[in-house]
Order: sequence, then structure tokens, then C-alpha cells
Amino acid sequence: MADLQDDLHTAAEVGPVDELPLAAPFPVEPPAPLSDDPDAEPLERAHALLAAHPVADGYSGLPWALRHLPWYDLELGESAVDTDVPRLRQGHVGALFCSLHLPEGLAADRAVAATLEQLDLVRKVIAAHPEGLRLARTAGQVIDARNCGRAAVLLGPATAAALDDSLGILRVLHSLGLRVLTLAGTSWASEAGLTRFGEEVVREMNRLGVLAELSGASEQTIRRALAASKTPVLCTRSAARALRPHPANLPDDLLAELGAAKGVCMVPLTAEQTGPSVRDVADHLDHVRAVAGTQCVGLSGTYDVGTAHPQDLADTSCYPHLVAELLRRGWTETDLALLTWGNVQRVLRTADVTARAAQQRREPSTAQIAELDG
Amino acid sequence: MGSVEAARELLREFPVVDGHNDLPWALREQVRYDLDARDIAADQSAHLHTDLGRLRAGGVGAQYWSVYVRSDLPDPVPATLEQIDCVRQLIDRHPDDLRAALTAADLEAARAEGRIASLMGAEGGHSIANSLGTLRGLYALGVRYLTLTHNDNVDWADSATDEPGVGGLSAFGRAVVREMNREGMLVDLSHVAATTMRDALDASLAPVIFSHSSSRAVCDHPRNIPDDVLERLPANGGVAMVTFVPKFVLQAAVDWTAAADDNMREHGFHHLDTTAEAMKVHRAFEERNPRPVATAATVADHLDHMREVAGIDHLGIGGDYDGTAFTPDGLGDVSGYPNLIAELMDRGWSTSDLAKLTWQNSVRVLGAAEDVARDLQATRAPSNATIESLDG
Repeated sequence: MADLQDDLHTAAEVGPVDELPLAAPFPVEPPAPLSDDPDAEPLERAHALLAAHPVADGYSGLPWALRHLPWYDLELGESAVDTDVPRLRQGHVGALFCSLHLPEGLAADRAVAATLEQLDLVRKVIAAHPEGLRLARTAGQVIDARNCGRAAVLLGPATAAALDDSLGILRVLHSLGLRVLTLAGTSWASEAGLTRFGEEVVREMNRLGVLAELSGASEQTIRRALAASKTPVLCTRSAARALRPHPANLPDDLLAELGAAKGVCMVPLTAEQTGPSVRDVADHLDHVRAVAGTQCVGLSGTYDVGTAHPQDLADTSCYPHLVAELLRRGWTETDLALLTWGNVQRVLRTADVTARAAQQRREPSTAQIAELDG
Repeated sequence: MGSVEAARELLREFPVVDGHNDLPWALREQVRYDLDARDIAADQSAHLHTDLGRLRAGGVGAQYWSVYVRSDLPDPVPATLEQIDCVRQLIDRHPDDLRAALTAADLEAARAEGRIASLMGAEGGHSIANSLGTLRGLYALGVRYLTLTHNDNVDWADSATDEPGVGGLSAFGRAVVREMNREGMLVDLSHVAATTMRDALDASLAPVIFSHSSSRAVCDHPRNIPDDVLERLPANGGVAMVTFVPKFVLQAAVDWTAAADDNMREHGFHHLDTTAEAMKVHRAFEERNPRPVATAATVADHLDHMREVAGIDHLGIGGDYDGTAFTPDGLGDVSGYPNLIAELMDRGWSTSDLAKLTWQNSVRVLGAAEDVARDLQATRAPSNATIESLDG
């Protein structure tokens, strides 16, 4: 410590002696003026805005896409996928939810081992690209990563089948970093809604800080999860069904309920769910914002899952185009900051706080599916 | 019995690192992980070999808890994760007595704090489901050894108690060993065929362990270690952790068990059948043929021989408590280790010999595996090898 202090005020080795602004050693940079400047081009303003409020991207299929590549370099740039470090930087992506979903055959057969492999793969990818990516488990770690100029990688959503109906496995996967779990496709989260064991899963997720994800879940499951969860939930790939009838898109009544529960509907940038153009995506965002509220809308790139994207939104570098369109439509900086970053941060932080409190009160649940669902 | 007091004194300074304890599986089978129903802070001698009081009485300073699951499960990975969760819950529930340990430094820290270092070992290559990604997942979860097989062959390694399959380790089996070296997970050669032991010693860049195996020269059972393998431990740096299971360590018990199994089969039962009728047949046999009893001296005979062959720096202890129905006299549960130490003292083992046996050798091996892993990680990326690509 003493050494550091001695060195603090020494002059630079080359060049003139530094002027030390003793009164204000860390001058506050003036806020970026561009976004207030109505004359600037929307795209420029979008870049400036995203530099301050980056994108938290709700769904990336990168792990599965990389699984079959013999070689890749995300730091240099990787044309075989839609996501790499240079394009994440161009797109101002500050946080990325990496999906651990499995193809159907694997999910039925050996979901636990395959999910472990997916987790291993993501950890390997992060370890191999330390300059660009950093694993984040909590809201605080997401901020840390951003302050270090890294994109924070959050693990999830994983498929509910990965639990093999066991809360012990949920705890083990959480300890490996799992942050989001999709409540669909099991006996305890089905078309019929959540069973008693399903509700116990949600309680244990709340205790651990694993977020419930409901895109593709049945309406009954969504309603039960909204009621059962002590923390806001995510729909990581849902647009407005009123505009486009896709099974994962949410009808207005559910959007309103999600909004009342302060969850976040993350609109996917896919032609299938939102439409073929940037304007279509913006229409969905307008609609979700109107129905669910400004605090309940987010973005989900849904890159590297093999679906077509709207024009001008082909990869992870394209977010400024979308934000520019929203600026043209009169979204304020506050609204956009919540859309790209703030809402997801709020959900993560709420889940962290709830988990800490719950861990003080409750022991790990030992409930068995056979006891509760019979 | 002044030497038992002296043994306790020694164990206070150099407690036992035990290589194998099946408490998690016992808790799964008996109470489905209801840890209140089998609270190890209370006396559990009616149900288990293991509880905290008896671990303390036995002078245990570090325990590899086995996260064993049966190899005939359709998918062994989920059950293995539940076993890991069980060990973590035990550690969380008893912070004054147990301390999670991942490294040799953790072992020393636990000893300094007077807590029992708690490590995990997976028993059987089936737990990685032919996947190096799953192997790395288990390491990330804290598993510090993998026994390459249990009683049955896996696709890439032969078991001691199964018919020869790939003849030791397959190419993928060698890749598993190398990946374990790279992660810092100890290669455990208990339960594997002698051919697998030799192949693994050839392939491993780090010291290996036998988490619970004794000497085949003293008692001819396939679960024990042949002398030619013990002879290779000095060059490898590993440890053979002697086990107490009577049917492996006492020749009379080996023969008795074989006769009892034959008797079961003659009556039309599987030899491991524990249904009421099967047990009746078994008890009748036991009345006619009293079960031979092993003692601490039986185990000491093994250690004396293993010391001759492998050397004092390559011995350890792996009781296999709660993983075996019968135990030797004097070593009936985890409080029994002082009786073994006393027996060895009576045979002239010095304090420094015993300190190596109980504590130092096992700590050294884990630290050496960490060093090898650090070196390998600097030069090698995680392996993407699959069993299909290597074994065809």
C-alpha cells in the first residue's frame, strides 16, 4: 500500500510534468450531449445512447451453434455465427443470456448430462476469450463486467428437463452459474399449469436467485408462475400475439398481467415472431410497451438459433438500427435505457435480493416430486 | 492398551485422510436425503457407520465423501448431481465440524482450524456418461477423484470384477485420464482391473490413488492391488489407501463369501439379493458356517506388505465405511482408526511413518495433481474428444 501511495504523484517518465487537478482529481465527464440534440442523425444518437445504456440480450443460441464448429475465434471475428466480440462491441451488447436449451431428442434422453456439457462449453468459450467475455452470476457482476469493457455472459435459460425432477440438481446447476430456467415441457410445468412440485421448484428458484422464464410455457403455467414467484419473471422470446399469431407470443391479457407483476417481455428479433423489417420489430415493442408498460419490455436478439432475422438486424452488431427506429418514433432516452438495459438489471437485482433474504429464512427444499404430485 | 492413547495423541496432530466413505449413498437409500431423519450431529450408530461424534473420536481430519451411484441406472448423471448436493448440504449444516475442501491447501487449513476437510470423489466412470464435458462439470462442482470403474466395465475401461472388455483402457479411456490430469482430478484405480491400473499408470502425468484397495499378495481378491502395480507407485508418486472390507482383506472371508454366494445361487437367488426370503437362506448358511472375522491386525498385515513393496511414502487409508455390510473387529465404524494406528505402533511403525500414512501422503498427492494441472492448462486446451471419434 505504501508503495502505491509513494508512486501516486510522480511525474510521467517522458514529456512535461503532469498537471494535477487537485481540486477535482477525477473530473466528471459531461454527459453525452448527442441524444439531446434533435438535429443529430437518429443512428448517431442511437450509438451514443447505447454507449451509455448497452443492450442486455435475452437469448443467444451461441453455445449450441459453437458445439459443432471444429475451430472458432470469437475475439478476432467468426463469420460462421452471428455473435462474436467485435460485433457485440459494435452492437453495444453489455450482457448476453446464453441459452442452454437442447434439441428435442437430447432433452428427452439425457438432459442433465447434455446441460452439463453446455455449461462446460460456455465456460470454455468465456475462458478462451477473456478480453471480450466474462461470466456473471449476479446483477453486480454484470455491472463489474461492463465497467471492465467485457460483455457479461449469463447462463440460461436452460430447459426444465435439465432438473430431472430434482431440486438437488437445480441447486447443483445454480452453483455452476445457471441463472434462468424455462418452465415448460415437463410433467410439473405442462399445458395443465404448474403442479404442487412445480410451485416448489419456483420457490426453490426464488431461494437461489434463478429466474423463471416463460416463453413457450402454457397460459396456465404463466399465470401460476406469476402468482407463485416472489421475484419478477422473464419471457426471453415473446412478442405481441395481437400483431403476429405465434405460439410463443403473448396475448394482451397475459402481457398486462406480466406488466402488473413487473416481469419483462423480451421481444425477439426474428422474422418468424415479429416480422420481416425493423419497423415490424418496433411495432411489437410499441405494443408491448403500451400494454405491459415501459418497465416491462426488453430485447432478445435470438441470434444463432437458426431462424431468419428482419432486414438490417442480421447479427449482434445491428442493435443501433433498431434503437434509431425507436428514436424516430419518439421513444425517450429514459424509455430506451429501460428497454435495452435497465429492466433486466432491475429483475436480476430483485432476484438477488430476494434470494439473499430467502436463504436466511429457509433451508434447501427436500421435496420430492413423488410426494407432492403423487 | 497404552498404545491406543498414544495413537489418539498422534491422530490429533496428523489426523486421518480417509479415501472413501459412502455416507451420501446410505442417506439416499435409507431416508432419501432427509438429513433431519439421519442427523449426523447426533449418534447414528443404529443406522450408519458414520456420524460427526464418531468421526471426531476416530481422529478423521479429511474425508473423501463418495458421490457413488449405481452403474445400472439408465442415466447415472442426475443421481450423481444429487449426491453432490447431499454432500454440500451436509457441509452447510455442520459448519463447525465440516469444511468444504478442494485443494491441498484447504486440507491444511481445515486441520489448522480443527475441522474435517470434506472432499468428494465419484466412484465409477459411468458417472461421466462417456463425456469429457460432464467430467469437467463434475470437477467444477468439486469432485476431486474419479474411480475409473465400479464393479462393471465402462465403455472405455475394464473393471476388476467384470469380464475383460477393452483390455485395460481404450483410447478414449486414456483421453479421460489425460483430461483428469489437466483438470487436477485424481485418477482413482480402486475397482479397476489390473490391466486398467497398468494402462492408467502409463497414461497419467499426475500421481494416482487407490481410494480403497489392499494388497493382492496378502489376500488374493481382484479388488486388491498386485505387487507389480504397487512397485510402480514410487515412480508415479501416488498412494494406495488400504481398505478394511473383510471380504477383500481376509482370505478366509474371501472363501466364505464365495461359498455363501454359491449357496444363494443354488437356492435360486442373485448373490446380492437382500429380500426377506433371500436373507433367510443367507442366515441359515451363516449359522452352519460362522463368518470369519477380520481384525485390525489383518489390515496391518496388508500395510506391512504394501510398505515393503511400495514404500512408506505411498500408503494411505480408505475405510469404505457405510459402503460395506461387514467390518473388522476393532474397526467397526469411523471411530476405529486409533485401533489400527495402535496396532501399527505395536509393530514398530514410527511417528513419522504413521504421520505419512494418515495425513501427509494423501495431502501431497492432491497438491501434486494441482501442480500438474497448472502446467498442463498452460499448454493444452480442454479436450473435445468423443468416444466415437477415438474408439470408433
